[in-house]
Amino acid sequence: MSAWLEITDLHANVGDKPILKGLSLSINAGEVHVIMGPNGSGKSTLSNVLCGDPRYEVTAGAVAFKGRDLLTMNVEERARAGIFLAFQNPIEIPGVSMSTFMKYALNAKRKAAGLKEYDAVSFMKHIKIRAQALEITDEMLKRPVNVGFSGGEKKRLETFQMAVLEPDFCILDEMDSGLDVDAVKVAGNGVKIMRSPERSFLVISHNIGFLHEQIRPDYVHILVNGRVVENGGAELLDEVRANGFARFQKGTAA
Amino acid sequence: MAEHLEKADELMLKPNETRVVVETALAENTAVVVGDDAHLVHYRLSDGANNALTVKLGKNASYDLVTVHLGSGKLSVYADLAGEGCFCRSDAVYALNGDERAEIKTDFRHNADKTTSRQLVKGAVGGRAKAVFDGGILIPYNKKAIDGAQQHRALLLSKTAEVKAVPKLEIYADDVKCAHGSAIGTLNKDQLFYLQTRGIDEAQARRILTAAFLNEVLDTMRIPELRDEWGRLIGLKNDD
Repeated sequence: MSAWLEITDLHANVGDKPILKGLSLSINAGEVHVIMGPNGSGKSTLSNVLCGDPRYEVTAGAVAFKGRDLLTMNVEERARAGIFLAFQNPIEIPGVSMSTFMKYALNAKRKAAGLKEYDAVSFMKHIKIRAQALEITDEMLKRPVNVGFSGGEKKRLETFQMAVLEPDFCILDEMDSGLDVDAVKVAGNGVKIMRSPERSFLVISHNIGFLHEQIRPDYVHILVNGRVVENGGAELLDEVRANGFARFQKGTAA
Repeated sequence: MAEHLEKADELMLKPNETRVVVETALAENTAVVVGDDAHLVHYRLSDGANNALTVKLGKNASYDLVTVHLGSGKLSVYADLAGEGCFCRSDAVYALNGDERAEIKTDFRHNADKTTSRQLVKGAVGGRAKAVFDGGILIPYNKKAIDGAQQHRALLLSKTAEVKAVPKLEIYADDVKCAHGSAIGTLNKDQLFYLQTRGIDEAQARRILTAAFLNEVLDTMRIPELRDEWGRLIGLKNDD
């Protein structure tokens, strides 16, 4: 199935405060897009709004995903439709192991797609292959979700979840932040393995080296004050590296 | 090997004896005596029962109690830590819904030196149900090397559910370690959201998080089949 995301004039608030102020963006199947912008420009808000985070209120605009109106769908419907957010700060769930968590999630998705739920054997097969590829040990799968893991391990576990659930559209919110060089490489590798003509990515990051070397985007968008103010290719990364966001911020109210 | 008893009103362990006892129906009153160097593991399932349990512990004896409390009823545990070096644990889970009313009361008395007590009580309360946890620890004057701990945690699963906690610590000695705490809250919204972003619907996410919260108590049980069975019963209770 081909992913197709069309965001049109999106406005969203946190409480009474407008964060997104007319954001438009379109992403086709198989494309890798990067969003950059100064702090507070709305990058994380965009990823949370796409997932249906109840803390944000959409006040205007439209989002179509594979021809469906995304904004009328609840959080779990969006996930089952193929949207996945790799969290900037993954949430700890004491008392629930990663493998149990993935079993619930995978079976919820299969059930919604009209497929038979996995039995214990086919489930283990499904996760073992992916765990090995991402250097996730059995011990990490048995431990409670994100409890007591380092920053790098948590990000690797987010990538693992993405590999297990095989979403069509992956949003990576600062996946590289707080990671050392080796951990950034493992995270980047996860994305490389997952790239396919049917799967699209939206990557939020400040790390131009990571974006250039690991992500290799097709498109780069600059977000300032809740709107996309510039669209381009990977060459925009170099401009941001050389000059920061100064040129893009001219003429936009702070 | 675990023994299954019903409505036991008396449970006496001779010195050096070790027993594992499972009770799924409770008498109104139960008297337990654990003799010197004896060890009793006691698992109790109370489905709407009223029971007053008194426990007396001998020298270096240990008592390890886990109670699963479903529905209305009043349960109390009075423990006399009478023998030097004895250990008493009383952990409990309660799960209520509808209009149920439950009361969990503990009264632990450190009447000898070098005695240790542990209490971990966790509850999940839905509907218009109401629970009261009344937890007591007494450490008399001049007792030495006492170690007591009491933790109570409750989840409110609806806006109309109520939990009241009344911790009572009376400490008259100096050579004492005694930690206690009580917290009453609702399911964590960030955790719910995280589960939902992986395709798990809200009702199931709530069930998963509630079970995870309560399982901390059951996880110490040494009979895995019993732990799973009682965990399932608690899950059904929280489902209503």
